[in-house]
Amino acid sequence: MTITVNGTKREVQSPSDTPILYVLRNELEVSSPQFGCGLAQCGACSVLLDGKEIRSCITPISAAAGKEVTTLEGLPARWAKQQNLSAADAEKTLHPVQEAWIEEQTPLCGFCQSGMMIKATELLEKTPSPTVAEIKTAFTTSGTSAHLCRCGSYTAIIEAVRYASTLMTKGGAK
Amino acid sequence: MKSSKNQTVNVCGAELSRRGFLKQGGALVVGLSLLKTEIGQAATSGTTLNPALTQSWIEIHPDNTVLLRTGKCDFGQSSVYTAYRQIIAEELDVPFEAITSVVIGDTDRTPDGSGTFDLLGRGVGNLKKVAAYTRQAMLELASQKFGVPREQITTHAGVASGGGKSATYGELVSDQNFKLSIPVTGDLTSMFGLVVTGNPPMKPASSYTVVGKSFKNSVIPSKVTAKEVWVTNVRLPGMLHARIVHPATLGSKLVSAGQVDKKRFPNAQVVVKGNLVGVVAPTEWEAIQASRQVASSTKWSEWKGLPGSGNLFRFFRQDADWKSATVNKSQKSKGDVPSALASAPKKHSATYEMPYMKHAPIGPTMALADYRPDGTVTVHTHNQNPQALRGQIAMMLGIADEKVIVREYSGAGHYGRSNGGNAGAEDEAVILSKELGRPVRVQWMRPEDFQWSTQSSAGYSDVKIGLDANGKIVAYEADHYMPAMQDDRPIGAVLAGLPTMPAPSDKGSRLNSTVNGNSDGWIYDGVLNLQEQAHGTWQVGQRESPIAVGLRDHSMRTPGQYQQNFPREVAISEAAALAGADPIQFRIDHATDERVKHVLQRVREESGWENRPSPHSKAAVTGTAVVRGQGVSLMFRTGSYWACACQIAVTPATGAIVVEKVTMVVDPGIVVNPLQLKRQVEGGSMMGISQALHEEVAFNESGITTQDWLSYPILKMAEIPEIKVVLVHRPEVGNYGQGSEAANALAAPAIAAAFFDATGKPARKLPLKAAYVKELLKA
Repeated sequence: MTITVNGTKREVQSPSDTPILYVLRNELEVSSPQFGCGLAQCGACSVLLDGKEIRSCITPISAAAGKEVTTLEGLPARWAKQQNLSAADAEKTLHPVQEAWIEEQTPLCGFCQSGMMIKATELLEKTPSPTVAEIKTAFTTSGTSAHLCRCGSYTAIIEAVRYASTLMTKGGAK
Repeated sequence: MKSSKNQTVNVCGAELSRRGFLKQGGALVVGLSLLKTEIGQAATSGTTLNPALTQSWIEIHPDNTVLLRTGKCDFGQSSVYTAYRQIIAEELDVPFEAITSVVIGDTDRTPDGSGTFDLLGRGVGNLKKVAAYTRQAMLELASQKFGVPREQITTHAGVASGGGKSATYGELVSDQNFKLSIPVTGDLTSMFGLVVTGNPPMKPASSYTVVGKSFKNSVIPSKVTAKEVWVTNVRLPGMLHARIVHPATLGSKLVSAGQVDKKRFPNAQVVVKGNLVGVVAPTEWEAIQASRQVASSTKWSEWKGLPGSGNLFRFFRQDADWKSATVNKSQKSKGDVPSALASAPKKHSATYEMPYMKHAPIGPTMALADYRPDGTVTVHTHNQNPQALRGQIAMMLGIADEKVIVREYSGAGHYGRSNGGNAGAEDEAVILSKELGRPVRVQWMRPEDFQWSTQSSAGYSDVKIGLDANGKIVAYEADHYMPAMQDDRPIGAVLAGLPTMPAPSDKGSRLNSTVNGNSDGWIYDGVLNLQEQAHGTWQVGQRESPIAVGLRDHSMRTPGQYQQNFPREVAISEAAALAGADPIQFRIDHATDERVKHVLQRVREESGWENRPSPHSKAAVTGTAVVRGQGVSLMFRTGSYWACACQIAVTPATGAIVVEKVTMVVDPGIVVNPLQLKRQVEGGSMMGISQALHEEVAFNESGITTQDWLSYPILKMAEIPEIKVVLVHRPEVGNYGQGSEAANALAAPAIAAAFFDATGKPARKLPLKAAYVKELLKA
């Protein structure tokens, strides 16, 4: 089976019913999605599948055949492509969501934040300037389940999404 | 010293020695030396300084960079990467940026052990003293180099000057190898680790320039760019994935282990050790599926020995043994409470109940162990106390501490669960690795992390308050009841029947005792008659369980104090209502400490507080219209003063509570890093609201039935209130208190008081779920 992960075509040997999470982490060594519950209840394992946030812990790899999976590792390249950056510029560019997460000092333990940044990317690609209410909806009811943060970084996430929104509107951190 | 190659100089009690000259490079390396009285104990714990110097506290390099090592770890507080650097930069007198590396946790690479708690108290105390010794050593080196007495040398930003000469710290150590030995005491693998002794001159807080600034957390970029090596990412050659088939109940013994269906799972294998059943396979998905198949055919003995969560408080009240553990009276207890209560014209008397709660890390516990044929074992994990874990693994295997290495990585927050040495999976991974002779990675699944981990103790308190004719408190009496709250036995070792520390008992030491302590320091010093007593008992089901498990408890953020502060603060708000007083002013009127009064005044100013008694004139218990209320809470913990105000909205018809605004005022003395403290307080506040509104462990007669995020809901983003964090920076205090964990405890009593304000009905039990709220409003 062939899937595209972060812009690169990858051959997958794992059985087709293996959840995407284990294929990414154990076979393809793409380790940013985390195992949080295995039940699609927390969002720690979130990835983009053709731009839509899904839970990789319950989605079999067969569902990704012929599609594009984007993880935290692939966010800079995704942004560079969207902005038509030169290879040299792309190399030293982070996705505005990542820039914002650093600037706002958002993660506490950070275990949920890969999923949070994936959700933020999905939101901002569709809604470039979300209101606080839209951000709360995106992270609470828009997906398979709410994205959970046990450390309570929700305030910092909202601030980071808003900052990322401004960065994206002006074409990234310069 | 210049003339002699290996001369040793005493520097304020530490020993500075030159280990020789080099053609290039050089360093000053700060290691540890043991007090003679402690040598026997610590030497067996492997604390002798490694000649390779990988266990040093601090290294100063010729390029003026500095490396720190600490046994404390990071669980999202950021302190080891931010506040520690700032405090050490101050004490060494180097720029913040000079500290380029911080090595944490690894038992073979860090010097001092102890747990990741009290990070700015005991936690940083060691390194701070080490830095102070090190600065004295730099003065000594400069004195020798310049030919000027040590007293005439000054330091600034990594440069020593005196007698018209100056040199950077890097220049002072260049081309030579120095070693500074620091006096320590204590037991490396105990809960509290080694402690640096002596009294090197410390910098006065008034001269701080690095402390107080908002430096960023150096570990965030790697986490945000997927470069961090999380514990979950560690892989070893030949490694097997494992899942554990835990017993059917908290008291079940293994009758027979299921067999792997080899047609479906050809590479999987069952490992049995006592009552510990593991299933391993080369791939994770096969291990998961095979473990489910094996679990379905594994037979366990039946057991019923728990009261069930619905009967918990009746059990506590009627059946629990509160007599075998000594009752603790608080140190501040004073006066004649019975007489004062008897003659008080107005009395408040009530019981307050707190449920079991889960630490509930967002990632279930996971560890990778590599047991070698030579009898050594390395455990890769995420743990708040790696040295204590090392001691527990050594005890379990009956080997010396030296044969165990624990390596620390980033992972999900634990909130206290592993502060005494194990998080759950480590010992199980070691047992399986030893049995199989290969590295084994044990990952708990979500239900196990709820059902087989420890929890924060439930408890209840009886509170009596007497008011005089003027509405002043004349007597306060509290009796706090809580089972043992610290069970650090590794669960895999318990199940496998291997050696562990004893289960909590009436004969246990401080850390495994059924004795309860008075954890919530009294701060209403205007009250003349006070009696607080803490009553302890056995963990529920521990003695009834044939495998000595039952409901295992463990300290969680603000341990013990959470369970005592909720009753006190809700009762004080209720007493204020009885007195017809505004609950903030009522508190101020009973305080004598200016810092207590100040945080209360600030929370009144900053929160939009209405000065009036509770309940609100529009309080209602019926209807679909929202009623609003305000509540306040207060706490003193490890050097910090906290006040919190919550404004909430209640819909009586549905029982729904929405927290609309929370204002948190914290006075820790010196604020080391405003930005990081603000983020910590925000986070702790949200977790506290989550605990107040949602969190309760459900269990039946056999075990915990809470199993996922549906049965144990936590706060979601849409539920968060507006939050305002007010940091009271008091440099004149000259020290810094703890910042983070206490925030958790403040929300619940403030929300309960706000509920009383909104409805006129007291809320004396957590959590405030809609069904319970509706019950309260009907009563």
